[in-house]
Amino acid sequence: MVDKLNLTHHISQKFNEELEDVRNRVLAMGGLVEQQIVDALKALTEGDSTLGRAIEQHDYKVNQMEISIDEECSRILARRQPAASDLRLILAIIKTITDLERIGDEAEKIGRFAARLAEQERPTSNYREIEHLGNHVRTMLHDALDAFARLDAEAAFRVAKEDERVDGEYDALSRQSITFMMEDPRTIRRVLDVMWSARALERIGDHAKNICEYTIYLVRGKDVRHTGFEAMEREVLDRR
Amino acid sequence: MNPSWRQEATVASGLFVCALAGWLLFHHLFAWLFAACFVYLCWHLLNLYRLDAWLRRGRQLQTPASLGVWGELFNSFYRLRRRDRERKRRIAYLLREFRNSTSAMPDGVVVLDSLWEIIWFNDAAERLLGLRPGQDLRRRIGNLIRHPDFVGYLRHGNFDEPVDIPAPASPGVRIALRIVPYGSDQRLLMARDVTRLYRLEEMRRDFVANASHELRSPLTVIGGYLDAMRTDSRLEQEWGVPLAEMEHQMQRMLAIIKDLLELSRLETEAREAPFAPVDVPGLLQRIQRDALALGHGPRDVVVDVKDPIWVLGSESELFSAFSNLVFNAMRYTPDSGRVSLRWWVEEDGARLSVTDTGVGIAPEHLPRLTERFYRVDRSRNRDSGGTGLGLAIVKHVLQRHDADLEVESEPGKGSIFTCHFPMERIAREARTA
Repeated sequence: MVDKLNLTHHISQKFNEELEDVRNRVLAMGGLVEQQIVDALKALTEGDSTLGRAIEQHDYKVNQMEISIDEECSRILARRQPAASDLRLILAIIKTITDLERIGDEAEKIGRFAARLAEQERPTSNYREIEHLGNHVRTMLHDALDAFARLDAEAAFRVAKEDERVDGEYDALSRQSITFMMEDPRTIRRVLDVMWSARALERIGDHAKNICEYTIYLVRGKDVRHTGFEAMEREVLDRR
Repeated sequence: MNPSWRQEATVASGLFVCALAGWLLFHHLFAWLFAACFVYLCWHLLNLYRLDAWLRRGRQLQTPASLGVWGELFNSFYRLRRRDRERKRRIAYLLREFRNSTSAMPDGVVVLDSLWEIIWFNDAAERLLGLRPGQDLRRRIGNLIRHPDFVGYLRHGNFDEPVDIPAPASPGVRIALRIVPYGSDQRLLMARDVTRLYRLEEMRRDFVANASHELRSPLTVIGGYLDAMRTDSRLEQEWGVPLAEMEHQMQRMLAIIKDLLELSRLETEAREAPFAPVDVPGLLQRIQRDALALGHGPRDVVVDVKDPIWVLGSESELFSAFSNLVFNAMRYTPDSGRVSLRWWVEEDGARLSVTDTGVGIAPEHLPRLTERFYRVDRSRNRDSGGTGLGLAIVKHVLQRHDADLEVESEPGKGSIFTCHFPMERIAREARTA
């Protein structure tokens, strides 16, 4: 399966290294974004407003990386004119970094809400539900990046499917929030902030799913966006 | 002569004698000689064929039996192969034992090649790092362990100290990773579960932070009463000197607590300082003014800014680090001495040096200088008013800015403290990040 993608068998050793380097940088950027999510969740659940605001400053590095990887990709496209799997790799990378950058923005948003929430009274649940959702999304992104690193289409499909569960969790959380707000209107301000954070997490899940779709595209050569899970499953399991 | 060769000679001469006998009985000398040679050649070819077949089969230990030189050759081959097998078995056993023992090791071990690709790893690495056997071979380690600290560790290439990160597979577990280069461009990655140590460290940090915080309010209360008592003229006569001393000691305690809080803040905050542009030349001017306002130490404090560049970092932290260096220099330099601050750029980054003409430090103290409460000379720090935490703060701040501290000193002549800032922390003047 993986061997079909001749990522490491090029006539030009230099080209190989360039491709591997840019892939490596995408994953390093992914690591940075993963860390942002971890920090955002920590700020939210531990009520750490300094940490919440610090995420904003790290976003600068993610943006820098996005720009430099983008430049590197256009350079490779122009100079090497890659074909087949190499071209797919470059295209997948260009799309992946956009999603990663957006995930970073969402994490930054959560950090801001966390800083605001930290200054208010904390509910008895101590934001446990949102922590659960956050951990779910964090694992999803981690596994999505793992699938990209291992070029594992089946793992990517499994992760993409998780998005349904994340959406379900988000729905449950918003219903619960509405109940809170109806019970006690004084909590509306706080609950709304929680809602926005949950919304940001749900968006992160969507972006992670996108990354999985790019991985499937990269490995299988078929675009599986907007095709539904059945079609995706057929595509992934078909050519085992 | 070797018995096998003797046997061979007997066979050859036997054939020759047969040929002669044929000639004597039936004439045709050449035909008989030819026949003898032909038979001899056929016999050799047959043996060659058997040898070839045996070599091809490969697995069979028992060699074919034969006479003369061939018999000897077959025997030698047999011995050679048996010895080979013995050796192979021994090496396979050793290798198996080695793998078994490394697998049983509680620490994760990953063998990496010059491109950071995974060659081999043991069971513990699988568990701690979430690697998959088979699937992850020939993948770059940085692709699978993506924590920014580890990626930075790989990029910096300084492997003297391990790096602590949460385990990729299970976030609750804390692991220490360390790269050990060996052989020609090969590396060993060691992973170790340090969750327990990490928790202890965390508890210690929290304890110091909380304790210092809690100590501050009672001290402030005591300070208030002391102030009131010092202004009371009735006490002046009898208690003036003790009260002044109490006030002095209380100021010292407050300074220590302030530094302890600063240190614990540096330790608990994010690993890296932010990337905000900081006007270092302006900062140095401010520190120079503060130093001259101290009221003790030399009056000769010069600032020499060669390149007006800025640093990307945290202004308050850099201010605290630089002023600690300068105030230290002021403290240990006689009034007739000189303290100079220099700020310049080199190829690999920017440098800030603080040079004094003070008492200097003996070389044996240099490695331990940045430890908390480390005193070079027990008698001299007390009255000079230091908290013993200044250089620890400097070290922490510089670490968070990816910078290093270098100390050169000669007792009696003075010291030079130099901070090295790497290129990625430098901004040209007024450029906003």
